[in-house]
Amino acid sequence: MKKLIPDIILIKFLRRMSMISGFFSLLFCALICITFLQLKRTDPLHTPVSTLLQEKLIQYPSSPNLIQEIRQIDLLARKAYFTSEWQIRTGSYLLLASLLILIICLKSIELITPRIPSIQVSEQGELWNMRKVQFRWVLIAGIALVSISLTLAFFTHRMLNGIPNEGNVPELFSRSRDSLQINPVAQSPAASIISDTSRNKLRSDSGKPGGDDEYPTQQEIRLNFPSFRGPDGNGIAFQKNTPVSWDGASGKNVLWKKEIPLPGYNSPILWNDRIFLSGSNENKREVYCLDAANGKILWSADLSKIKGSPSQNPKVTAETGFAASTLTTDGIRIYAIFANGDLSALDFNGGIIWTKNLGLPNNHYGHSSSLIMYHDLLIIQYDQSGSGKVMALAGRTGDKKWETSRNVKVSWSSPVLVNTGYRTELLLSAEPYVASYDPATGKELWKLDCISGEVGPSVAYANGKVFSVNEYSKLAAISLGSIPTLAWEDNEYLSDVPSPVAVKDLLFVVTSYGVVVCYDAITGKKHWFKELDKPVYSSPIIADGKIYILDKQGTMHIFQADKTLAMVAESSLGEGSVCTPAFGNGRIYLRGNRHLFCIKK
Amino acid sequence: MIFLLIIVFLPGVMAIQRFPKPEFESGYVVPVNQLPVQRGEILAWLDVAVLLIALSLVTYLVLKRRSRMGVFCISLFSIAYFGFYRQGCVCSIGAIQNVSMALFSGNYTVPLTVLAFFLTPLIFTLLFGRTFCAAVCPFGAFQDLIALKPLRMGAWLNAFLGIIPYLYLGLAILYAATATEFLICRYDPFVGIFRLNASFGMFLFVGLLMLTGVFIARPYCRFLCPYGVLLNWMSRFSWKHMNITPAECIQCRLCENACPYDAIEYPQVKKNPAGHRKQVNKMVVLILLLPIFIFGGVWTGGKIHRTLAGVNSRVRLAHILQPAHTTNNQPEIPEITAFRGSGITQQDLIREVTRIEHDFLIGSRIFGGFIGLVFGLTLIRLIITPYRTDYVPNKGTCFSCAKCMDYCPVVKD
Repeated sequence: MKKLIPDIILIKFLRRMSMISGFFSLLFCALICITFLQLKRTDPLHTPVSTLLQEKLIQYPSSPNLIQEIRQIDLLARKAYFTSEWQIRTGSYLLLASLLILIICLKSIELITPRIPSIQVSEQGELWNMRKVQFRWVLIAGIALVSISLTLAFFTHRMLNGIPNEGNVPELFSRSRDSLQINPVAQSPAASIISDTSRNKLRSDSGKPGGDDEYPTQQEIRLNFPSFRGPDGNGIAFQKNTPVSWDGASGKNVLWKKEIPLPGYNSPILWNDRIFLSGSNENKREVYCLDAANGKILWSADLSKIKGSPSQNPKVTAETGFAASTLTTDGIRIYAIFANGDLSALDFNGGIIWTKNLGLPNNHYGHSSSLIMYHDLLIIQYDQSGSGKVMALAGRTGDKKWETSRNVKVSWSSPVLVNTGYRTELLLSAEPYVASYDPATGKELWKLDCISGEVGPSVAYANGKVFSVNEYSKLAAISLGSIPTLAWEDNEYLSDVPSPVAVKDLLFVVTSYGVVVCYDAITGKKHWFKELDKPVYSSPIIADGKIYILDKQGTMHIFQADKTLAMVAESSLGEGSVCTPAFGNGRIYLRGNRHLFCIKK
Repeated sequence: MIFLLIIVFLPGVMAIQRFPKPEFESGYVVPVNQLPVQRGEILAWLDVAVLLIALSLVTYLVLKRRSRMGVFCISLFSIAYFGFYRQGCVCSIGAIQNVSMALFSGNYTVPLTVLAFFLTPLIFTLLFGRTFCAAVCPFGAFQDLIALKPLRMGAWLNAFLGIIPYLYLGLAILYAATATEFLICRYDPFVGIFRLNASFGMFLFVGLLMLTGVFIARPYCRFLCPYGVLLNWMSRFSWKHMNITPAECIQCRLCENACPYDAIEYPQVKKNPAGHRKQVNKMVVLILLLPIFIFGGVWTGGKIHRTLAGVNSRVRLAHILQPAHTTNNQPEIPEITAFRGSGITQQDLIREVTRIEHDFLIGSRIFGGFIGLVFGLTLIRLIITPYRTDYVPNKGTCFSCAKCMDYCPVVKD
């Protein structure tokens, strides 16, 4: 039967079709690539023109013409962007179609064109040569594979080696603090607790060459209680086996009690077997060191007459006194600040290393922000009427390392150091904002307006959220991130003195009128609340899975730090107290109005 | 041609961008979908039925009718149905991962349809050879379509690249078993074509593969496909495999260059010039070395387990959170923000990562041992003396595409 179209003409036609479709395929492919690269380069949200106009808008925020212009340019930029995306998509369809035509044409040519099989001259010996070659190359492939594997393993081993073992989460992983297991150790002299070989020393960068201090590691810090509300000021104690039952009046489980010569509302701090606190009246300022084992006052340092100390006393109230700020220690020196701005550093034998006066604080209740250490820096929150600031002094010499002004009102809260898993932040709270600073440089990292009034409570932190509270203001939960935002807020139970405390996904707020509330830290939902019917000034501490709340009458209310209300015990000190407890292994140190108590298990 | 272009072009012109994707200020990039929208179960079973019918039909066409045209038509259907319509998912190749994950990961159950996609081609291959590869697998069918000017590859290159499918299979199983990644799906070059949705990198890779496929027939099937490893093994023990000749081979040599995949084995009647004794010695040595190859593989696998585990997202996160990699005053990356908001402590993360790395240690050792075994067996196979009088397809590597049948002049009585 005669064919409609002779093969040769058909082949010619198909060849031409394939050339055209091949050309179009290449063209569409090139266009797609060009459009894609153009799209990659442009950022519709930040075109140069829109950026310029946005900067202008900052200067003239309420200019309607400017706003309209920005909107129009933004719309045009977005339209251009999405049009490019559409072009790529359409181009893909066209490319596919032209490829399909190309393939059909070429396949058709292949089918039509008769193929004559060719027979090559071959020798049967070729197989063995071929096998030899194959053998060799398989061998080469195997060796190459092993070499590449071992090389990759060597290089990536370095990168991935730093992931710590389960039981050895280093200091910056502070989010895990609440589940960190620390074996209880006896409060014996420092050298026997942690051997030198196991120490991971942090070198001081403020010391003189050849005379560097060896600062404690995070683990060592957490074995102690070196500042107000614990190691980082966050209200978490890492000690275990904490007592729950005692009676101060009868002496049950009271290991010792010691009268403190001068009054003070600062809370005790603990390092190894030493307890430090201060006392002050109008004329005298002293720091005391007690033996944790028996309460004996090992030494007291008189800091009444230091150079630069103002001659007049600051204005204080009866509820603050002259020694409201808790001391801090880095295991090498003890640092104390008083209401008149006197700041001192002492060694563990009571010797004065350096002193200075920061200026008489303009604070109508009396300065009460406590001190905290960050590596070798002593951090001081100094918010007064008319001038707020935070500063860092070198622990060794007292030299100012940095100072950052704060546009805040006077406050009585204390700094909190947190490691967010990404960086360490210094969190401060005062009207009108909660702010975060880099503790190494003082640079402000972020701030969020969310607090007002006379701020007494410090912030709490857990799992990427910062919690601030103040009476007549609100309880705010701030989610950290590239731009911290308000996650939730509540204004039913607000504290003006005790600081909140958070752990994992629980937040505990204790009001000064004696209500303790447990919130879901993520959603702000209340799990439970309990009325203690007694005022509370002391800040709660979470230790060993329990929350300890000391009311003003000296009764410790202990609950499970859990989303279900479960009271563990109520124990009485037999003496009123406004101070926050300090924890040792198997011990609690409570400062009453007159005595320091050591409670044992 | 112009009519075709208009038909293709017009919908594009009329297309409207209706719902653009949301913008993410943090720089988050919307990932390319790895799975198409889920279908109803009855439709999934319909796919299995279509697979079964297609396999049966191809097997019939190859073994009974010896029809290349029939196989070609089925391959077009496979591209259309399993490729463009089903968008390449579920595919038998990817099903390896589902099965691995179900076997080794505690909390995944493989759907029966996926299991059917995995097992059915294997069973057919065990019975009738690689008829799945002939025309049912859309990837193979697509490559068959674009193999326009296939060239013969050197034996050395075939041997060198032949190890890659085993590596790919091992890695795919390892990552699926540890619930880390579906490697085959992520790096599947063909789904980008079938779904018209691929990243730029994958787009370039597909282009390269297609270009290669014009000159080197079925490059993915021969040098990448992990499922092909399993099919290779099954096919070697197949009950009935296609033959080039329908009757007796007459050694006319007309089929010598018929196979674009170098899958035809030539007659070999001459003895190894090196000598039988030498050959036997080599074989004995290799057999004795086999445990060493396996042990070497296990050892190497153990050494590289952390590198392999680095792909796991939890391990990567723990790595990102290390102090050495965090810098103050840098904008926070979304992974850290998400982790912080998750409520999981770093202690828990470390615990999880330790468990994952332990799984990888075991898996990598097994993987290394497997590669060592493959390596050793390949070397042994290359020593073995084949004796053949006829031109036969290599049962392991022959795709049963029936291209060679038309070259054979023998007619069955």
